[in-house]
Amino acid sequence: MTSLILALMSALVGVLLIVLIPGENKKLRNSIVFLSVLLALVFSWRTGLLVFAGKSIGLKVELGRFVWSLRPDPLGVVFGLIASTLWLFTGVYSFGYMDNKEKQGSYYVFFLLALCVTLGVAFAGNLVTLYLFYEFLSFATYPLVIHERSPEAMKSGKKYILYSLSGAGLLLVAIVLTHHLAGNLAFGAGPILEGLSGPGLNWLLLLFVLGFGVKAAVMPLHHWLPSAMVAPTPVSALLHAVAVVYSGAYGIVRVVYSVFGRELAGELVFSKIFLYVIVFTILAGIIVAIRQDHLKRRLAYQTISHLSYILLGAFTLTPWGLAGAVFHMISYSTLKITLFFCAGIISELTGKSSISKMKGIGRGLPGTMVLFATGTLGMIGILPLNTFWGKYYLMKGSVAGGMWPLALVLIISGILNGVCFIPFIIKAFSGEKNQPAGKTGKRGYREYALFIPPLVLTIAAISMGLLPGMVWPAVQAVVDWFF
Amino acid sequence: MAGVITVNLPVFLIILPLVAAFILPTIGRRQRLQENLLLVVGSLGILGAGYLAYLVMDGGISSVYQMGGWPAPWGIELQVDGLAAFFLLVITFVLFPVFLFSRGNLAEEVGGREKTARFYVLILLLGGALAGMALTNDLFNVYVLVEVATISCVGLVSSRNHPLSAEAAFRYLILATFGSALILGGIGFIYIITGHLNMGFAAQELAQVWQYRPHVVWMALIFLLTGFGIKAALFPLHLWLPDAHSIAPTPASALLSGLAVKGYLICLFKFFYRVAGPFLLQELAIDKIMKWAGLLGIVLASLMAIRQDELKRRLAFSTVAQIGYLFLGASLLNTRGLAGTFFYLASHAVIKAALFLSAGTMLAATGKEKVSQLAGIGRKMPVTTAVFTIASLGLVGVPLFSGFVGKWYLLLGALDGGDFLSALVIIGGSVLCAAYLFPVVRLAYFEPAEIEEAEDPGIPQKIALVFLAVLVVLLGVMPGTVLDLAGRAALDLLTP
Repeated sequence: MTSLILALMSALVGVLLIVLIPGENKKLRNSIVFLSVLLALVFSWRTGLLVFAGKSIGLKVELGRFVWSLRPDPLGVVFGLIASTLWLFTGVYSFGYMDNKEKQGSYYVFFLLALCVTLGVAFAGNLVTLYLFYEFLSFATYPLVIHERSPEAMKSGKKYILYSLSGAGLLLVAIVLTHHLAGNLAFGAGPILEGLSGPGLNWLLLLFVLGFGVKAAVMPLHHWLPSAMVAPTPVSALLHAVAVVYSGAYGIVRVVYSVFGRELAGELVFSKIFLYVIVFTILAGIIVAIRQDHLKRRLAYQTISHLSYILLGAFTLTPWGLAGAVFHMISYSTLKITLFFCAGIISELTGKSSISKMKGIGRGLPGTMVLFATGTLGMIGILPLNTFWGKYYLMKGSVAGGMWPLALVLIISGILNGVCFIPFIIKAFSGEKNQPAGKTGKRGYREYALFIPPLVLTIAAISMGLLPGMVWPAVQAVVDWFF
Repeated sequence: MAGVITVNLPVFLIILPLVAAFILPTIGRRQRLQENLLLVVGSLGILGAGYLAYLVMDGGISSVYQMGGWPAPWGIELQVDGLAAFFLLVITFVLFPVFLFSRGNLAEEVGGREKTARFYVLILLLGGALAGMALTNDLFNVYVLVEVATISCVGLVSSRNHPLSAEAAFRYLILATFGSALILGGIGFIYIITGHLNMGFAAQELAQVWQYRPHVVWMALIFLLTGFGIKAALFPLHLWLPDAHSIAPTPASALLSGLAVKGYLICLFKFFYRVAGPFLLQELAIDKIMKWAGLLGIVLASLMAIRQDELKRRLAFSTVAQIGYLFLGASLLNTRGLAGTFFYLASHAVIKAALFLSAGTMLAATGKEKVSQLAGIGRKMPVTTAVFTIASLGLVGVPLFSGFVGKWYLLLGALDGGDFLSALVIIGGSVLCAAYLFPVVRLAYFEPAEIEEAEDPGIPQKIALVFLAVLVVLLGVMPGTVLDLAGRAALDLLTP
């Protein structure tokens, strides 16, 4: 229990220290950020290991008539561990990326706040607590989206907060309705709505999916995500490829398995209809991505497509499908964040953000582009990268659930992912050498901070791909928890 | 001695501000003394109302207070129930910070130090009238109190040293008088067919006779709804409100938007629930009218608020929208919905007072009236902006702030009645509310500063602002006691 509280508190303490320490001392601030993220990581791993060991840990406060509780279960722990681990990598990357930018103080304050809130989403023990952190996540990340303060950033920020708040509002209606129907909101061994049935629950499911679907960028609720790419690259990488969008996807998985339960979800017509929406999002997302010229926007549309992989796994309602969803959650995040990191390095070192201007860039920045190419292969989902296994289990789940066309959709999506990025990589390594403008050949602190996180993550992804047993216990724990 | 005070506590709470209002002009030259007197009145009010609430919840006080010891129907009664205790608490907890806020910085707004006494007298009269509205159980007393409150409100609007204040006050006066006439008509109709002015007796009689004169009863209720609707700014009868509330001096705006409109609402609830009863409301479809007026108010007034560039006008339109929530909640006719309505009423009273006081402080310090001119004020006036932000979060209904609890129970009430449309509008209203309040917060914190010189106000003002902000958070984090009281008030109204 202590480590659970400390995991959330360490980021908050970091925020307090940054705010309270006067003056602009970059080294001190960066060490505070690094230490508090590291502590959050250590404590959330400790929490995670305890939960995987079968211990029940939690914290419950009853104030007024509201119960606020933190009670991580394996699914929450998986999300929390993904978030805190990647936060550390993004922190290091930010030290390099933000080094010559303005307003770093405010950037790191909200960077740490967002970590605390994301861990809250992951570890929430009932729907109200989940809602609390889900809503605060929008507020904590809004300042990061508008960090540039340009008119375009302000416009995107407005869109982001409006979409988020509308989604959260629908979610609140859904939660109150659940409370009205079941009288209980805690995530426990059985689903909250156990024993209820009837066609009216379809609408409840719709409300939940709309509420979380905004953050999970399910089409047609996805418009905020490509616009949010005006944020600094570490923010796009962490929040808009992993933490924020995962909180939506995680919420939907949570709703299907903890609120409705798979029997009830299987009876509802809407869960079948959502599969069509998900399939549409998977295919349309990647097709739109092919047509984007802005690299970060292309990656964003690809994110939209891949997030729906997770939802697809959840809605197959089979153990293999859920395993695939969890596996994809883990493996996809490591590679997507790498792709964004590489895009950030390219735009930082060469000032280029459009794909059409990046011809020959691979010969100027060979290391970065090799990592980018590896990530791309991961998006297609081939060995030796870890995303292969996620996709494999997703297909297995689809077939096991008697929905073999879904496996076909995943294969087509894989091919489209190839169409999306392979030509770019071929172009990047051919033609004239595209030398970064101010490159001196000498590497400093900044270059290392930019390059090491994606390198380590790629190595991790490959080792996970070769030895999927590393991740399997976690996936197994989630599947056992719900089945 | 203690027993005498306990027994007479209800009437003491009405008389206290009225007596102070008479004493105050006699010390009209000594400003510091006036202000201290106000603080004493405010603190006594909080103590009295708190003790009364405790007695009511504890069952330690008789629910009927007979004025002068005369039993009804000869004498006049005060109804000392959950509703009265609840609204008295709201009144005192908003009045106290407003008194504190006006300490030492009123002269500029009302145009000279010699005019402050007049302003204070009006506030005290308004406070006395509101306390009376909370407690009264007599139809005609309601009318008298409504008139006292209306005249004080008009006086407060006109007291600002501003070229437009006379026009706004006059328009308010005309419409409010029209409302008073309708209220008097409604009371007259009820008196004619029941022969009683005591609410309890009138209710008993009305339950018998309404089927012989359904049209008269319908007319009476519609008169009351329209009359009180004008005064409480029920959409679309709100036309006077944006001008009046945005032009009044800052403490008066806080009181008018936070408290005064709610006093009329409490009176209307007494008429509708205690005299007519939920059954009659449904039978005559009055609840439908309330519901639709509320729904339209939430949506349309919020949309209008978004388009206002003047900060105080934006807040005034927001009041119209929030009043829509209260009418919507009251039309649900179930305990959870009504308890949510009362909690929301308290939450909005505190929040709107905080918003108007902090906005007024910003305007006074910078001289800028437009939202778009307030860029970067968060760094110059940290306390004021923080209070504005907390109040905004509260009004939008973010968890751990007071508005969330109110909306939660309103939603529960709406869904108990199977009313999905209302549930969606309640939520849609929150999003619209975010759309008109968050831009102010965004400009204040995240835009480069345009304002050169501005400072947080003096210590009494700061304490008043922080007091209100703490209330917003406390009501959100630990709503238990207040929710119990609101639930009790709802139960008292719904079960005769």
